[in-house]
Amino acid sequence: MPRADMWAGSGFLALGAATAVESWRMPRFEQLDVNPWSVPGLVPGLIGLVLLFLGGLLVLRAVREGALRAEAGMAEELGFDAERRRRTLLALLLTVGYAVGLVGRLPFRTATFLFVLLFIALFRIERGMPVGQIARELVYAALEALLVALAVGFVFERLFYVRLP
Amino acid sequence: MTGGLGLFLEALAGFANPWTLASVLWATLLGIVVGMMPGLTATLGVALLTTLTFKMPAGDAILVLICMYVGAIYGGSRSAILLNIPGTPANAATTLDGFPLARAGQAGRAMGIATAGSFCGSLIGMLMLVLVAPVLADFALAFGSYEFFWLAMFGIVISGQLTAIDDPLKGWLAGFLGLLVAMVGQEGIHAYQRFSYGITELSGGFGLLPVLVGAFGFAELLQVMKQPAYEVVRNAGGRVLPRLSELLRYWRTIIRSGLIGTLMGLLPGVGEDIGAWGSYAAARRASREREKFGKGSIEGLLAAETGNNAAVPGAIIPVLTLAIPGSAPAAVLLAAMFIHGIRPGPLIMIEFPSFVYEVVAMVLLASIAILVLGLALTRPLLYVLAVPRERLMPVIFVLCTVGAFAIASRLFDVWVMVGFGILGFVLREMKYPMAPLVLGVVLGPILDKNFRRAMVLSDGSLEPFLTRPISAALALLTLVSILAAIPAVRAAVLRLALRIRGGRAPVRGRPEPGS
Repeated sequence: MPRADMWAGSGFLALGAATAVESWRMPRFEQLDVNPWSVPGLVPGLIGLVLLFLGGLLVLRAVREGALRAEAGMAEELGFDAERRRRTLLALLLTVGYAVGLVGRLPFRTATFLFVLLFIALFRIERGMPVGQIARELVYAALEALLVALAVGFVFERLFYVRLP
Repeated sequence: MTGGLGLFLEALAGFANPWTLASVLWATLLGIVVGMMPGLTATLGVALLTTLTFKMPAGDAILVLICMYVGAIYGGSRSAILLNIPGTPANAATTLDGFPLARAGQAGRAMGIATAGSFCGSLIGMLMLVLVAPVLADFALAFGSYEFFWLAMFGIVISGQLTAIDDPLKGWLAGFLGLLVAMVGQEGIHAYQRFSYGITELSGGFGLLPVLVGAFGFAELLQVMKQPAYEVVRNAGGRVLPRLSELLRYWRTIIRSGLIGTLMGLLPGVGEDIGAWGSYAAARRASREREKFGKGSIEGLLAAETGNNAAVPGAIIPVLTLAIPGSAPAAVLLAAMFIHGIRPGPLIMIEFPSFVYEVVAMVLLASIAILVLGLALTRPLLYVLAVPRERLMPVIFVLCTVGAFAIASRLFDVWVMVGFGILGFVLREMKYPMAPLVLGVVLGPILDKNFRRAMVLSDGSLEPFLTRPISAALALLTLVSILAAIPAVRAAVLRLALRIRGGRAPVRGRPEPGS
C-alpha cells in the first residue's frame, strides 16, 4: 500500500518534527542549576527524532515502491469500497454521536436507549424491506435498547458500585 | 522451592470456598464468550472487567481478571474453528487447521483438541511461572536505571518486530508512537507538564485504560462493522471429548509448544498470537505429518492452541517480576495490579512472595475452568456465535463508554477512548500492530525516568549503558533484533553462513510467510 504508507509516513515525519521542536522549547531550569541531563524535553525530543527518522524511512520506501506513480487512491489500496465506506461512516457517526454528543448531556439510560435503538435500526433495516419486517425489527431494537439501558445501569451502579456518566 | 509449594497450597486452600469458585466459573465463562465473539478481544475483556472490579478486594479482582484472560484466549478458538475467523488475534493460527476440520464434519473433535491443548498450554505456562518468576525476580534485583532503560528499549524493538513480522518498520513506529503518548502529562523528575497546553485533564496524561479500550474495543468495533456479513457454521458434529491416546501421541508437540508459547509470552509486548504462530511453525518443521498442516492437522491445531494459552502465564511472569507486560492483556492486568495497590517488580518475592503463588493458583483454577466449561458447554456456547453483530456491537460500545468513564468519573476519558479508537482503526487498516503501541504507553514512563536518571548518574556518559554486563547484553540483544529485521543484513548473514558451509547462497527474497 505505497500511497497509504506515503501519507502515514508523512504524518509521522510531521509528528516527529513537531515533537522534537516542542521538546527543544521545554524549560531547562538553568536558573535552578538543574542537571542538564534531567531536563523534561530530553526523552520526548529523542522519541521525536526517532519518529522523524522512521517516518522518513517509510516515505522513502513508499516512494521507491511507486507511491507517486500509483493509480489507485488510498481508499482503494485499503479496500474501502462504497459499501464499506458507508458502513464505517454510519458506525462512526452513531458511536461518536453517542459518546461525545449524548453522554453527559442526556441522562445515561435515555442516551443509551436512543443509541442502541438507532444503531440496530439503521444497520438492520434495509431498503426494500417489507413494512411488517421493518416494524418487527423496530420493536426488537426498542426492546433490546430498553433492556441494555436498564441492565447496564443496574449492573454497574447496583452490583459493582461504579458511577455512570 | 518447598516454601513455594507451601505458599501455593495455602493459596489454593484460600480459594477453596463457594464464592471464589463461583467467581472463577462466571469470569472464565464470560472470558470464553468474549473470546468467541469476533471483535471482542482478551485485552478489551480484561480492560472492561478492570473497570467493573476496581471496588472489589485486590485478590478477588485479580482472580476474576486472570480467569477472563485465560478464558478469552481459549474462547477465541471456537470462532476460529467454526467461523474461520479468529475470536482474538491469538487464535489466528488455529483457523489454519481448525476450520478445515470443522468443514470435514469434525468440529466437535477440533473443539475438544483445542480445549485439551489450551489446558495443557496453561499448565505448562503455569509451571514455568512457578520456576522462572522467583529466579527472574532475584536476577532483576541487580537491575539499575541503565538496565531498565535497555529493557524498555528492547521491549519496544522486539514487540514491534515480532508483531509486524512482514513489516517491522510499522511495528517500531507503533511502539514509538506509544512512547510519545506516554510523554503527555506531568513527568516524574521535575513535575513539569509536557504537551498539556493548559488543558487540565491532560496534566495527568492519558489514562491507560481509556487508551486500551479505544484501541482494542472501539477500533475493533469499527473493523467488525465495516466488514460484509460472515457465515456461521453451527454444526458441532462429532465427539468433543478428546482421546487421551491422541494427546499422548503428540506429547512432544504439546511440550515444545508450551515452552515456545511461554517464551513468547515472556518477551515484552509479544504475547499470545506470536506464541501460537511460533509453536505452529516449530510443530510443522518437526512434524512427520507436515503435509497435513493447513488441511486439518490435529498436531497443528494442538500446537497453536497450546502455544497461545501457554503465553498467558508467560506474559504474567514479567508483569510480576519486572512490572513490564508480556502482552497487551497483561498490560491491563499490570494496570489493574497498580489500581489495587499491588506493586509488582523485582521486589515482589521479598515484599509479597505469597502473591506470586496466589497468581499461580489463579491460573490453575482458570485452566481447570476452561477444561470443564469448554467440554461441558460445547453446544450452548454455539448460540453465542449466532448473535448478529448489529445487535451486539452497540452493547459493546456502551460498555466501552462506561468502562472508559468508570475509573476516574471523567467525560474526558470517554473522548480519549473515542480518539484512540479512531486512531487505532486507521492504524490497523494500514497494518500497524496495536501491541507495541500499548507497550509503548506502559513503558514510556519507565524509559523516560530511567534514561534521565542514568544520564545524571553517569554525568552524560553513554559508557555505562554499554559496559555494565546486563546492560551490555540487553543492548546487544536490541541491536541484533534491529539488524535481524533488515532484509539486506539477513541476506548477508545467510550468504556468509552458506559460504562457511561451502554451499551457495540464494539470490534475494523474504522467507516464506509463516515459516
